[in-house]
Amino acid sequence: MTAVPGFRPGSSPRRDTLARLRRGWPAYLFLLPTLLLVGYFSYYPAYIAVTRAFTDWDGLNVPNFTGVENFQRAVSDPVMGQATLNMAIWVVLGLILALLPPLLISELIFHLRGRRRQYAYRTLFVIPIVIPSLVLLLVWGSFYRSDGLLNTLLGSVGLGGLRHDWLSDPGTALYSLIFLGFPYVDAFNFLLLYAGLQGIPQDVFDAAKIDGATGWRRVLRVDLPLLRPQLGLIAVLAIIGNVQYFISPLVLTSGGPGFATTVPALLMYFTATRDGEYGYAMAIAVLLMILVVALTGLSRWISRGSR
Amino acid sequence: MNRRLTLTALILAAPALASTAEAAPGSWRGTIYMSAADYAPNFPGVKKESQLKVFQQIADEYEKLYPGIKIRFHNQPIPDTNTMIRVKAAAGELFDVYWAQAYSLNSTLPKGVAVDLAPAFKQPNAYIPGNKAWQDVMDKAQLAEGRNPSGAVYTLSGDKVAYTIFYNKDLLKKVGITKAPATWPELIAASKKLQAAGIFPMHAVPAYPWWSRHFLTDFYSKDYAKLTGYDGLPGQSPLDEAVAIHKGILTPKDDRFMSWWPVMKQFTDTWPKDYLTADPAKNYDAFQDFVGQKEAMLYEGSYKVREMLDAGVKFPVGAFNFPKLSKNESKYTTGVNTANAYSGTGGFQFAMSTPLANKTMREKGKPEAVLDWMRFFGTPKNLQRLTTEQGTYAPTWPGTSVKLALSNFDSGAITSQIKLPERSIGAQTASANLGWVDMQRIFGLYLSGNITLDQAKAQAQTVLDRAAQDYARKNKVDLSKY
Repeated sequence: MTAVPGFRPGSSPRRDTLARLRRGWPAYLFLLPTLLLVGYFSYYPAYIAVTRAFTDWDGLNVPNFTGVENFQRAVSDPVMGQATLNMAIWVVLGLILALLPPLLISELIFHLRGRRRQYAYRTLFVIPIVIPSLVLLLVWGSFYRSDGLLNTLLGSVGLGGLRHDWLSDPGTALYSLIFLGFPYVDAFNFLLLYAGLQGIPQDVFDAAKIDGATGWRRVLRVDLPLLRPQLGLIAVLAIIGNVQYFISPLVLTSGGPGFATTVPALLMYFTATRDGEYGYAMAIAVLLMILVVALTGLSRWISRGSR
Repeated sequence: MNRRLTLTALILAAPALASTAEAAPGSWRGTIYMSAADYAPNFPGVKKESQLKVFQQIADEYEKLYPGIKIRFHNQPIPDTNTMIRVKAAAGELFDVYWAQAYSLNSTLPKGVAVDLAPAFKQPNAYIPGNKAWQDVMDKAQLAEGRNPSGAVYTLSGDKVAYTIFYNKDLLKKVGITKAPATWPELIAASKKLQAAGIFPMHAVPAYPWWSRHFLTDFYSKDYAKLTGYDGLPGQSPLDEAVAIHKGILTPKDDRFMSWWPVMKQFTDTWPKDYLTADPAKNYDAFQDFVGQKEAMLYEGSYKVREMLDAGVKFPVGAFNFPKLSKNESKYTTGVNTANAYSGTGGFQFAMSTPLANKTMREKGKPEAVLDWMRFFGTPKNLQRLTTEQGTYAPTWPGTSVKLALSNFDSGAITSQIKLPERSIGAQTASANLGWVDMQRIFGLYLSGNITLDQAKAQAQTVLDRAAQDYARKNKVDLSKY
């Protein structure tokens, strides 16, 4: 019997794995502490959350299995409905804010003449990263007060009619929270896009110039397609971040007025820390986890599909 | 599994231990850790002249009596008591004795963080001469109001907070007001004057549980005995509340129940709207406006005086009580003075941890020793010593007297309201978060003009019905039999 060219006698996958482990044991040994820590501090809490979501756990006593009762309660709760709608608005607007301003600023700085000038502006946009986010929130909270900077500014430029109780009006509270932090240039997103632009070979820009792609046309036809990996990553991180975000509603409005700024993550937080219903809070957490996975998958699928 | 069984057994045993304990710590020797909150002695960072010493003196007396037992007070700030209790209990490291709200222990905190003290309260306290049952020296209404529907009592409570309206004398003088408002129309007129002068009359979260009790106690004063008597005990318990809600008395079905909301709105319409829809916890932020002389008045508890001193308030502060209402404000008023209607439980409100929440309580004899320490400091004499020194809380036990030591602050208003009979009607504790969260949210939306009174009534009815149902379901009570 002659051997068929290109055909190797089969080897068991288990033996392959063991052989690989034997060959690379020093590397795996070095990885082990990290894996253990990640397992204990990241995967174990997630496992606890998933398993206790089906119980009436109060954070202390032995939990009793309650089946899908917590999930039924979550999906039938009208407050959860309002919170989910708020979150949807937040995710959509948050995505726009995470992508557009950093993209615009990175393009502008990238097109500046002179490396030193680029460096100076880049630094200017990154420096605010050192300010704790809570400080920013409290400052913006004071801006939004009835006697705050925003109303004072509006009054001083003759737009007194636009003065508003920004955080105590259900119609404006959510948008006030979403749109705090002007000029919305997230340092991480900006640097990611700027690095992406720097990574585009000069030949590509030269070729585009010869083809007549300059200005906005170049941005749309050359930069954006080549920045797709960075934009995709920012989109995924923004979706995950905004689904899980609840700090500004917690600090500035406690989810009010009414439930106007309540989001599911805040509901989860209050359910656990204020009401002591950890089982129900974990069910909300599991639903959020499923949503994050679904939205992340969807965004990856969209970005792949348009290639 | 065995561990769980052991813990369960210990929890079940704890009340029994308490009930059979002798008036002595027994043979156990070691350190008892206590979080005494506002009564904590030698607290770091407090000005020398404001330092409290009495609890340490009481501890020294106990240590002298029982060599080998040490009492240690926790002297770090606790920003969020309930979170501290949950976290420490989950780790099995809760303090042996700690400050906690009876309301929280009865509702949102997990069962098993505090020992049921009711059996111990029925036993004599040997540190009180001639005492037959420890509870005989306590305030009966306070004891009843803090009782869990199961009959358990988780806190040793002995004082209360007096609520009043503090005011910045300089700011009122600035707009020509030299005498504190004494009636509702005077209060509104003063507020409008201040508003016109660009001064915030008040800038705070109008806490529903606080304000509602003044109005409801007045409007329902003729029904007081009925509304507090369903459970056969003095004071208004969560059961009394749930029954009254179920009967439609403490709901919008009764015209009196929300007829005061427009009256209150007259007042809050003169305030900036920033805090109207906020969570009552935001009153900590609102307090800064009073300290910073941005608002002229502050409705708060007597404990706030110490905070004013700590915050370095230099301007003259006065106080006036919630004014008596007349028929002009509401046709439902009965003319009763309800200044004393809201009296929150205070700083002397201590719980004892269980072996589940505190592993050291599994040591043989320690629960008896800790309970004995509570008996020792929980006497009328020591309560008097503690409240006299602390100066911002009013002791509630019969025979004790209020001695407010509020620095150079004029405490006349607080002193006079404390002398009033203790009568209070509310709709806030039948279920967890009823008053502080659910009703507060509706109240805020109405006061800020975001919903009409009819919309508020509809929402309130839903919330109250759910609260009564929750109470009945959780406590297996048939409300219709009352």
